[in-house]
Amino acid sequence: MTEALRKLGERALALVEEAGGIALLALKVIGALVPPRLLRVGAAGLRLVAPSREVRNPPRVPPLSGRELLRNLDKMGVSSLPIVALTAFFTGGIMVIQSGIFVKRFGAQGLLGWGSGYAVFREVGPILIGLMFSGRVGSNNAAELGTMTVTEQIDGLRALAIEPVRYLIVPRVLAMVISMFCLLIVGDLVAVGGGMLFGKLLLGVEFSSFYYSLRDNLRPWDFLVGVIKASVFGLAISLTSCHFGTAVKGGAVGVGRAVNDAVVAAALAILISDYLLTLVLR
Amino acid sequence: MSRVEAFRDGAKLFRRIVVRTAVGSLRGRRPPGEVLRQMEQVGNRSVVFIAVTLGFIGMVLVFQTCLQINRVTGDLSQVGAEFLKILVHEFGPTLTAMMLATRVGAGIAAEVGSMVVTEQVDALRMCGVEPVEYLIVPRFLASLVMTGVLTVFGVAVAITMGTLTAYLTFHVNPRIFLDLGRVSLGDLATGGLKVIAYGAAIPIVSGFAGLGARGGSEGVGWATTRAVIASSFTVIVLDLVLSGVGLFLLQGGA
Amino acid sequence: MTRSFSGETVLAGIDLRVDRGETWGLVGPAASGKSVMLKTLCGLLPPDAGAVVVDGEDIAAATEERLMLVRARFGMLFQNNALFDFMTVGDNVAFPLVRRGGVEPKEIRARVSARLRAVGLAGTEDKFPSELSGGMRKRVGIARAVIARPDIVIYDEPTAGLDPVTTQKVYDLLARERDATGATVVVVSSDLDALLRFVPRVGMIYQGKLRYDGPAKKARDADDPVVRQFVRGDIEGPL
Repeated sequence: MTEALRKLGERALALVEEAGGIALLALKVIGALVPPRLLRVGAAGLRLVAPSREVRNPPRVPPLSGRELLRNLDKMGVSSLPIVALTAFFTGGIMVIQSGIFVKRFGAQGLLGWGSGYAVFREVGPILIGLMFSGRVGSNNAAELGTMTVTEQIDGLRALAIEPVRYLIVPRVLAMVISMFCLLIVGDLVAVGGGMLFGKLLLGVEFSSFYYSLRDNLRPWDFLVGVIKASVFGLAISLTSCHFGTAVKGGAVGVGRAVNDAVVAAALAILISDYLLTLVLR
Repeated sequence: MSRVEAFRDGAKLFRRIVVRTAVGSLRGRRPPGEVLRQMEQVGNRSVVFIAVTLGFIGMVLVFQTCLQINRVTGDLSQVGAEFLKILVHEFGPTLTAMMLATRVGAGIAAEVGSMVVTEQVDALRMCGVEPVEYLIVPRFLASLVMTGVLTVFGVAVAITMGTLTAYLTFHVNPRIFLDLGRVSLGDLATGGLKVIAYGAAIPIVSGFAGLGARGGSEGVGWATTRAVIASSFTVIVLDLVLSGVGLFLLQGGA
Repeated sequence: MTRSFSGETVLAGIDLRVDRGETWGLVGPAASGKSVMLKTLCGLLPPDAGAVVVDGEDIAAATEERLMLVRARFGMLFQNNALFDFMTVGDNVAFPLVRRGGVEPKEIRARVSARLRAVGLAGTEDKFPSELSGGMRKRVGIARAVIARPDIVIYDEPTAGLDPVTTQKVYDLLARERDATGATVVVVSSDLDALLRFVPRVGMIYQGKLRYDGPAKKARDADDPVVRQFVRGDIEGPL
């Protein structure tokens, strides 16, 4: 009994520690995104309050690397397109089948586009695409950063006076948020296509009736909710994978564990933030 | 090695895994207690994870549905019945499996993959052990059982959280909400079929990724990533197929 | 006993014969196909073309079931030991005997502790491989390779990463094992000096071809400049 309690406490502590690490990383990323000029103004203000040496001479920060961002966008976003499109296509089909139960029960063909579209746009699309993106990009990112950490490449960057958060993490976070934003828009379109196709094949619902049902019953807001959700999921995935990737301890085995932890944490973060966003975005 | 050759080798390995797993599950020597040990591993790793994720899914589903219905008719008395129905035949099994694909699939691929790159699998073969029978079969059997157990557990958590959401946010009486009238035998059969299919597919797909690992610790990382994507995607494809089967054959359009 | 082998890509046509009871060494630069060759010899990798004959049986054409029986006649020490990290040292060493079956548990325990004593690791049965040092793990690997009294023993880099003293100890151990069992031994090693002292006959593989196969003592003065340079460790030469 005490043993079980002790284990539970240990796990809870570890959880809080990781959550704190992720929050800290988020703050650092935000800090790195503040334009240097603003930083200087802030430093001037701080100098009046606390004239320490560090504040008087704020470290010179290099501009964010646009090339690194583009490289990551290509690696994370463009290369995930096939798996996301396939997932979306099948998701559209699945949701049509689920709505099909109602269609068959009530004979309400006109509801198919609405029902499946609403579910895909607001809930199922962002979640499934987010989970796939986390499996592909998040885990890769954790593995890459983890390998860099255990092979001391990150310390090497520090030795060259390059700030790792700004140089390595910020472009990845931005790339993942932008990628999820774009991938969800593509995914929604593909899912509607898949829904139409399966609706016609399995339930005999005409393309036009599916389309009108979708157009007349859904607001642009429903679409937008999904896009916002996906972007937040992108942020959650990037923060968890960057955190677990850079916090690796213990060699190659540690990298494997970090990848596993990152994917699990991302799934938790996706579903919890999904709930919170659902409460906010009505 | 050309892509065609790589594909052919992969197909051969996959076929071997499927055949050996099928044969090995029915007969064959297993280290005693190994299946139980694997079941414990799966359970230990996933209970909290499943509870949290499925709990939130239960809340979100009820919340979204109530919101949408409030906009149209405002009659929330049917929400519970429909929620239980769709949870049993669709969201419960599928989302639990998506989570297990992440948790268990990655674990299997990492374990087996690191055994491959450290030549432990070759050492097994030198001792006259068929690696699929020794490594994959116990995980396969454990996954079959535990996917079922964890799905039931996850559905229970989702129902609890969904009922609470309906009661606290939308003031739906739990007695009205917990209406099992809509859940037909066909729904249960569809859900059960999905559970079995997912439970069988995840260890096979991840075992395939793990046994195909090549080259150092980086290879293990790749294998793990591939296992997560491939098993999640397999779950989605199986969901589509089995939902279709369920709709037309089992749920009888009711 | 004959083993001939002609594979492709990594190994481009190799003909080789090792007789029963002989000890044969194999050397070569990194990534020259040594490990691939060993794995082909014991039936872990099928050759693309050609034959691998063990005691009159062509294992290149054998079915997986047949191969299992043939492999049971081999003992192998892997490059990184490949100890099962989920088992204790005792279970690791006992594994080949347990799998073969037909031996009483009591007898297995006795033989395991005798083997471990022989490699200087008495009393480590209940430890896990991760608790041992590199040299100790190597010796556990050797104990596991020879516990079932195999007809043919293959050592892949038995001394990689060990200091000179430990290296010599390992080779002494290998020599004792060989003399006690009379098994056929194939050794791959990058540690040339120690290996050449251990084996009477050596082969060198380079770019997938067997460039030398003959007495170990004469390798230094081989006609082939590649072999000569590699064995002598010269900086200048065709390599």
